[in-house]
Amino acid sequence: MTTMKLAPLTLKKIKRFRSIKRGYYSLLIFCFMLLITIFAELWINNRALLVYYEGHVYFPTYGAMTPGNTFGLEYDYETNYRDLQKKIELEEGNNFLVMPLVPYNAFEMDLRDTEFPPFSPSWKDKHYLGTDAIGRDMVARLVYGFRVCITFSLFLLVITFAIGIALGCLMGYWGGKFDLFFQRLIEIWSSIPFLYIIMIIASIVVPNLTILVLVSVLFGWMGLTWYMRTATYKEKARDYVMAAKALGASNNRIIFYHILPNTISLIVTFVPFSVAGGISGLTALDYLGFGLPPPTPSWGELLQQGTTNLQAIWIISSTVTALVVVMVSITFIGEAVREGFDPKLHSTFE
Amino acid sequence: MISKIFARFWLIITLFCFGTLGHATDKLPENLQWQTNDTAPIFASPDAKKGGTYRTYLSAFPLTLRTVGPDSNSSFRGAINGNQLSLISLHPNTEELIPELATHWAFGEDKKTMYFKLDKRARWSDGKPVTANDFLYTLEFMRSQHIVAPWYNNYYTEKLDKVVKYDDHTLAIVATKADPDLFLIVNITPTPRHFYGELNKDFVKRYNWSIVPNTGPYQIDKIKKGKSITFKRKKKWWAKDLKYFQGRFNVDRVIYTVIRDQTTVFEYFKKKRLDDFIVTFPNYWHEKAKSIEIYDKGYIKKHWFYTDSRESPAGFWLNLDKDLFKDPNVRYAFAHAIHMDKLLNGLLRGDYSRLENHNTGYGEYTNPNIRARRFDIKKVEELMTASRWKRGTDGIWEKGNLRYSVKVTYSFDGHTPRLVLLKEEAKKAGVDLQLQRLDGSAAFKLILEKKHDAAWMGWSTSFRPRYWQSYHSDNAHKAQTNNITNTDDPAMDKMIRAYRDSIDPQVRIRLAHQIQEKIQEIGAFVPTYKVGYFRTAYWRWWQFPKVAATKNSGGLFEPFGTSLFWLDPAIKKETEQAMKTGKHFKPETIIDTTFKPK
Repeated sequence: MTTMKLAPLTLKKIKRFRSIKRGYYSLLIFCFMLLITIFAELWINNRALLVYYEGHVYFPTYGAMTPGNTFGLEYDYETNYRDLQKKIELEEGNNFLVMPLVPYNAFEMDLRDTEFPPFSPSWKDKHYLGTDAIGRDMVARLVYGFRVCITFSLFLLVITFAIGIALGCLMGYWGGKFDLFFQRLIEIWSSIPFLYIIMIIASIVVPNLTILVLVSVLFGWMGLTWYMRTATYKEKARDYVMAAKALGASNNRIIFYHILPNTISLIVTFVPFSVAGGISGLTALDYLGFGLPPPTPSWGELLQQGTTNLQAIWIISSTVTALVVVMVSITFIGEAVREGFDPKLHSTFE
Repeated sequence: MISKIFARFWLIITLFCFGTLGHATDKLPENLQWQTNDTAPIFASPDAKKGGTYRTYLSAFPLTLRTVGPDSNSSFRGAINGNQLSLISLHPNTEELIPELATHWAFGEDKKTMYFKLDKRARWSDGKPVTANDFLYTLEFMRSQHIVAPWYNNYYTEKLDKVVKYDDHTLAIVATKADPDLFLIVNITPTPRHFYGELNKDFVKRYNWSIVPNTGPYQIDKIKKGKSITFKRKKKWWAKDLKYFQGRFNVDRVIYTVIRDQTTVFEYFKKKRLDDFIVTFPNYWHEKAKSIEIYDKGYIKKHWFYTDSRESPAGFWLNLDKDLFKDPNVRYAFAHAIHMDKLLNGLLRGDYSRLENHNTGYGEYTNPNIRARRFDIKKVEELMTASRWKRGTDGIWEKGNLRYSVKVTYSFDGHTPRLVLLKEEAKKAGVDLQLQRLDGSAAFKLILEKKHDAAWMGWSTSFRPRYWQSYHSDNAHKAQTNNITNTDDPAMDKMIRAYRDSIDPQVRIRLAHQIQEKIQEIGAFVPTYKVGYFRTAYWRWWQFPKVAATKNSGGLFEPFGTSLFWLDPAIKKETEQAMKTGKHFKPETIIDTTFKPK
């Protein structure tokens, strides 16, 4: 509701952001990648998109598994649709099925009788970027790995920002002993080595996404707090806040209607870099083996595989390329956001 | 692994021999059945030539040359102890007793005393004769507080009662209790009293870098601290012409150089600065060392040697205290859901083989009729439906509020790809494996506290099978014991008790077979795979007997172990010339399956 009030100003900022082409196109690319990964099941999957079998139509992509005997195969575990496709083609009946572009998921291993993984990229086998060291499709690992990464990053973002903004604001607004206490707490807390803590935790329990997010929040909330504190101190001392106070506005009103909206540009500027930080953080943890448990698809694990299997150059090259594209586009977005929201261009309040 | 086992036995044997000093008045019992063994097959080659230098590496320089006391437990201790003979030894292929320092031995009627006649030719490296006094001294030495080695102090007190001297070359060694494999306990090494004399609290400091007289084929010649250690062959070694030592210990010098990093070791080998390189790991054998110039040109050979040693019981250990595994059908279904064939042939390149039984490679103690359950979805379905389970919407078996989801606890990161494969296959059989990789000590703690569903691990081996710690109800349902399956079966307890109490080998063999059948029947241990070989690459001038190693060898080059290799100077010269002129030889990979179990 605050932003609604600020709409003309915000619109101006967005306009300025759009005028910075590099950042704007990066944002489009990034959103495209997000869409791809959100709907990855539709184009990278070992389940068929559509099966027409004996007069029935099936859409196996989402939902429970369809056992093989539904399609006249002799087993009741999940249908292998690639085999089913071959069978249907051989039978020459009316049945047909549509496979996704990449007919593998991120977990299954495509092992062969005469060769051993990793397999090089092959158009014929539909491993467009080859397979990893144990025969899983690289495209699938990359795309599903990106989903895990970005989910982690966004959760981390929301929680650290919530804590950082709330606490920073209060420290700046109340000041005094409250401020002093949290300043010291943050100083002490910051000196705890994050990596050691995560190593210890990972050796005792198997970390899942929730645990990793919580631990990262535990050691990552301090950064924004500092900035918010400073910004609030600055805003608090301005005349309009004094005026609001003189008019008898409550603390809540002052914080939510006056101070926060005026620090929003600072907050927004940090968002892209925080997302990038989250992605690289999780990748680093996975690389070191302290991240999500196998067989979760993960870029860090791919990097690790790539460095130990340098002869299979497609593993490391495609992972590094993916990582670079994502990181660079986020950085460009961040730059453009910073320029677009630069308060120096809008300091017309006084 | 076998060689490791033997090293351990050696050590144990060595450690256990010393009791209190005997009195000269002790009389040798009459009617002793003295035995010796000069009929066992020799395993070295009579064609072996003496000479040359063997160069190998150490990953770290030893902190001391002492073999007991602080910091002495380094891998280099094996090299020093390897040159310290004991009374008798085990034939590496037949596992019969063969003479070493003792020419004859006899067993006492009490089943805890063993008598020995020392070889009168036996000499220390300083020329002094080896006598019964040196064995008396071992006990005194190992029990001394001055050596600061509590484990040895304890071992030599609790396992060995005393050493009795009858004359300079006749002695008896007495264990504290009767044992079916007594020789493992009483077979100790001598300690040179004339070298150490009276021990005092200076021991640890004083002997840090001393070269102690030994009885074996080599002695330390040169030490460059932090860099290298050279052993030199004794030209007039007292045992060089004895039957079981002929054709062994051929090189004149053995040089250990410190090289800290495995990649560097490989480079040193390629540069001809080391004589061999272990390529047992699949990535070296199949990739890194597969097509290198020195192999393609035939300058080095590769040797794949199958052994038949005691195998570690490695596999899944199901926790019977978990509700899921109370039903034997569910346990059998688990074994049938593990696709070992695909793992062994699809991912591990057929290098490893299936482990069939809890005790594999224990000779007569292994029950040859036991075969591990194979991957079979039909069987899983029969077993699960028999117990009234149904497949859920995701294909995983369900019954009431139970779901066939099993947390698999493991610790070695290198095993992740293997478990990931098994997980994907088990899903087809309706079994969901959740992989839980923990740090080594955390995983082991969790498993010993019996908090796991299924543990993926292997145990170390022993000379004879042992069951009490892993399967007796004494150790079930409590933390910090090795019965990690929580097996609690009265019939099993009875058999284990009988096995432990018996000292008749035939009875023990029969019981071991029955116990192994019972283990299979309970189905809480799902055996996976064994390695069963080693692979070495070496320069082509190194020669070996027709069968290049023994059933229990740990490698082709064990300079102070079986030590069967020798250097052929003519071939060395030919190869070095060829390397200069660029001449090639035919690349050679030798695969020896002499000891590969059928």
